[in-house]
Amino acid sequence: MLTIKGLKASIEGNQILKGINLEVKPGEVHAIMGPNGSGKSTLSSVLAGREEYEVEGGEVNFLGQDLLELEPEERAREGVFLAFQYPVEIPGVSNINFLKAAINAKRQHHGMEDISAKDFMTMVKEKQALVELKQSLANRSVNEGFSGGEKKRNEIFQMAMLEPKLGILDETDSGLDIDALKIVANGVNKLRGEDRSFIVITHYQRLLEYIVPDFVHVLYNGRIVRSGDKSLALELEEKGYDWIKEEVETV
Amino acid sequence: MSKADFLKQFDSIAALFPIQGKARAAIHNGLDFPTTRDEYWKYTRVAPIVSTDYKQHAPDLNSVADFEIQDGEFKTLVFVNGVYNSKLSDTMPEGVEVHSIAHASGEAKNEMLEHLGAYVSDKNHAFNALNTSYFVDGAFIKVKEQTEVSDPIRILHVSHGEKQATNSRNLILVGKHAQVSFIHQFEGKENDGAFTNALMELVVEEEANASYYLIENEGEQTSHINTTQVVQKRSSTCSVVTVTKTGKLVRNNLNFSITDQGCESNLYGIYFTSDQQHIDNHTYADHQMPNCNSNELYKGVMADRSTGVFNGKIMVHRDAQQTNAFQSNQNILLSDRASVNTKPELEIYADDVKCSHGCTIGQLDEEALFYLQSRGLGKQEASHLLVRAFASEVLELIEVPELRSDIERFVERKFDKVDA
Repeated sequence: MLTIKGLKASIEGNQILKGINLEVKPGEVHAIMGPNGSGKSTLSSVLAGREEYEVEGGEVNFLGQDLLELEPEERAREGVFLAFQYPVEIPGVSNINFLKAAINAKRQHHGMEDISAKDFMTMVKEKQALVELKQSLANRSVNEGFSGGEKKRNEIFQMAMLEPKLGILDETDSGLDIDALKIVANGVNKLRGEDRSFIVITHYQRLLEYIVPDFVHVLYNGRIVRSGDKSLALELEEKGYDWIKEEVETV
Repeated sequence: MSKADFLKQFDSIAALFPIQGKARAAIHNGLDFPTTRDEYWKYTRVAPIVSTDYKQHAPDLNSVADFEIQDGEFKTLVFVNGVYNSKLSDTMPEGVEVHSIAHASGEAKNEMLEHLGAYVSDKNHAFNALNTSYFVDGAFIKVKEQTEVSDPIRILHVSHGEKQATNSRNLILVGKHAQVSFIHQFEGKENDGAFTNALMELVVEEEANASYYLIENEGEQTSHINTTQVVQKRSSTCSVVTVTKTGKLVRNNLNFSITDQGCESNLYGIYFTSDQQHIDNHTYADHQMPNCNSNELYKGVMADRSTGVFNGKIMVHRDAQQTNAFQSNQNILLSDRASVNTKPELEIYADDVKCSHGCTIGQLDEEALFYLQSRGLGKQEASHLLVRAFASEVLELIEVPELRSDIERFVERKFDKVDA
């Protein structure tokens, strides 16, 4: 589904990603862990198409297409979804109207007709239940006045509505208490499926207790320095990141 | 062109009232048109307007169907090039008296002359003096005491013909305890190069409630100078919403004279500019007496090489204790070459008041744009959504649904054409 080869990217002249290689197959969940400043959020930003980052080398292939050639909205329409670490508040833009526009943009892209009002509302109801999002929130302006937990739930709600092929969760666990974390994780688990993959970016192992990954990668200093299964996350939890840093620096 | 030459083109217009003679004397003698050296006109250069040979076309227009507000069925008064057209106008609802200023007679005329020009100064404002000197007609509307008019009354001014110069003059008296709203629409037809100099005096008597929507849409190649003078009596409410749709140069002077206690004054405005448009809004909330509230919100979106000006003054006199006066002006620039000058002014002589002001100039929020794009909306669509969201705060204050929809449609059309 997603193949990243030798990806290098910089912002304002500082190289952050120094050659990332990653292969994500359909249905897989990959966790990317790493200390602060290792490049985790840069990776998600580059995949979603944030303009501030300059890709200096490497390639990203998503379902047979060169992902880096696509505009952010084209990536979304092709099935990439980024759940933001800091979801943006947009006063005056209704959550529901915006989602409808987004769904129709995607449908038009795939040569489909606009979604009917009835189907849309049925879908909204169903997906709201998935993340236990209050109906009143869905009708408000995008994220305006939402609590931290509500914003993250709204991200997962949007993801559920847009039915992506690849979901990238950028530190979705940050700022969540344990109850909210469980709700969010539960929502993600319900979206897991044979044709849908996830990249879960996180600093802590905690989230991975609830969203159990198939693979765990450690990102350090712009490179994936170690890959393994879910036990790697536990090892990191136990030993911290210093152990990895030392090992990398010795090599 | 000298001032004398400019004025000469209007001299064939007959003076109907003594105030016109006085104003002519003033403007022909010491009173000059402002320049950018005058603080009040610092950012708006009127020299091109007052050095042009205009025309005064006969007011012949057979239909005003082009200017309908979709789905709006409003009783309408029609003026073409400043002159009342009774054929195209509707009968007013009960309790609303209408007279053509030029043809008012008897008691109505006496009452009109008591008020006409009583609230604006010709002395230091050359455009007011120009208007008073050379208006040929206009609307005198009187809403009788206790009258509640359910549907808005529409006043439609059409500027018709190339280089048409019109001094539009109007007077509205809203009687005690009356409730009414007006849509004052300035439109244009085949009128490139036209200039309209409009002056409205709106008197809101005790405990009356008046809303006044000023819609400026005379055409891309026109100039418009507008003075709206509101006078509020005890415990009255008055809201003015100014929407500037088109015009190469538009200058609005909105003055609220708040003369007694318990008044509520709302000054709202929205302007969208593109190409090389220049839109200037000057407001003045004059708090003379205690226990009054004024709220002000103006928003602007500027594209291409257009320019905007906002200058909002709040004056709180010594007697005006317990005044609450709030003002906000927010602007979004969609292009590097667009600009806006915004200036709040507070002058406060009372010590027990709450006043605030704020102005912002910014671009569309990049983070919000990316967020919308990352969900699949195209950049243009995302920009439009953000512009509409920005404008919605003012548009929601328009309490006539048909008018609000009309302006929403206008916003969409306008920003389909510009690169955001």
